[in-house]
Amino acid sequence: MHEFSVAIGIIDTLRENGYLDGVSRVAKIKINLGKYSGIDKNYLSFAFQNVDDKRFNGAEIDFVLNDGDEITIKEIYVD
Amino acid sequence: MKSVRKKELRTIRVQKNALGTNEEIALKNKTIFGKAFVVNLLSSPGSGKTSLLEAVIPVLKDAGLKMAVIEGDVDTDLDKKRIDALGVPAYQIVTNGTCHLDARMVNNSLGRLDIKNADVIFIENVGNLVCPTSFNLGEDIKAVVLSVTEGDDKPLKYPAAFYKSRVLIINKTDLLPFLKADLERIIKNALSVNKDLKIFETSCYGIPKDSPAGSACDKGMLGFAGFIKESVRSKTARLQGAFLNKGLGI
Repeated sequence: MHEFSVAIGIIDTLRENGYLDGVSRVAKIKINLGKYSGIDKNYLSFAFQNVDDKRFNGAEIDFVLNDGDEITIKEIYVD
Repeated sequence: MKSVRKKELRTIRVQKNALGTNEEIALKNKTIFGKAFVVNLLSSPGSGKTSLLEAVIPVLKDAGLKMAVIEGDVDTDLDKKRIDALGVPAYQIVTNGTCHLDARMVNNSLGRLDIKNADVIFIENVGNLVCPTSFNLGEDIKAVVLSVTEGDDKPLKYPAAFYKSRVLIINKTDLLPFLKADLERIIKNALSVNKDLKIFETSCYGIPKDSPAGSACDKGMLGFAGFIKESVRSKTARLQGAFLNKGLGI
């Protein structure tokens, strides 16, 4: 149940690196998810629907599953 | 309407670790830890992490190593009190419900714990075999503790903790005669997830059959202590090597 923390981590990482500047809505996030990442993709999708930053509440999360333990933000699709 | 909105979408290529902010703080922690060898202890609640520390700390103390312990729990400072009793500086992080430690919580604790002379820092994570695996704290290694009472299938059911750890400590081995769990199967399952795991079989209570004369610890516990001692030595050597390579001299 740490997916909420991971969702906040993703938003912090995007914000602190300037990816959210001028963005009014995040429609989709493409994430590479390793088999050993320890993340439940349904919980992570659910977490985004409930974060304080409303721009993420409608986001569709597109997971690309692979080996290893990575959780990598590949691309975001924004308005 | 929907297709019109879709056209407005911009694609931004990011290609960043999802926990980038946590990673940055973890890197800061690593710098603050300095020469100390740092172990992030992971396990289910009740596997014996604190008991393991109570057993291994006196052995490391006898070897002349200085230690500090960061305890993570959802509530209470019961674990900190057990470490205090060993005469080792300890700081208790109370997460108030959060199921894991993250780099920021550890960073906040570092100003309040005397680590400047420490050779070894143990971070006892919140008892949970899933969530703590995602958050780098700046440690040198993760060590996962599995007690035999949890069953031999756990490495397969909770693979992330075993995949990311350098060390597996199989604890409460004195209880094996009373259980269906099979030691060989635990080892086989763990190695199938991570073939490089260094494994120690330990028991913190009772008189272990294979304890060397004059020691209250079994061979596995002494093996783990030996591994820590060796890791401290090699980290110091590595840091000194890097220092010399920079041409700064000593």
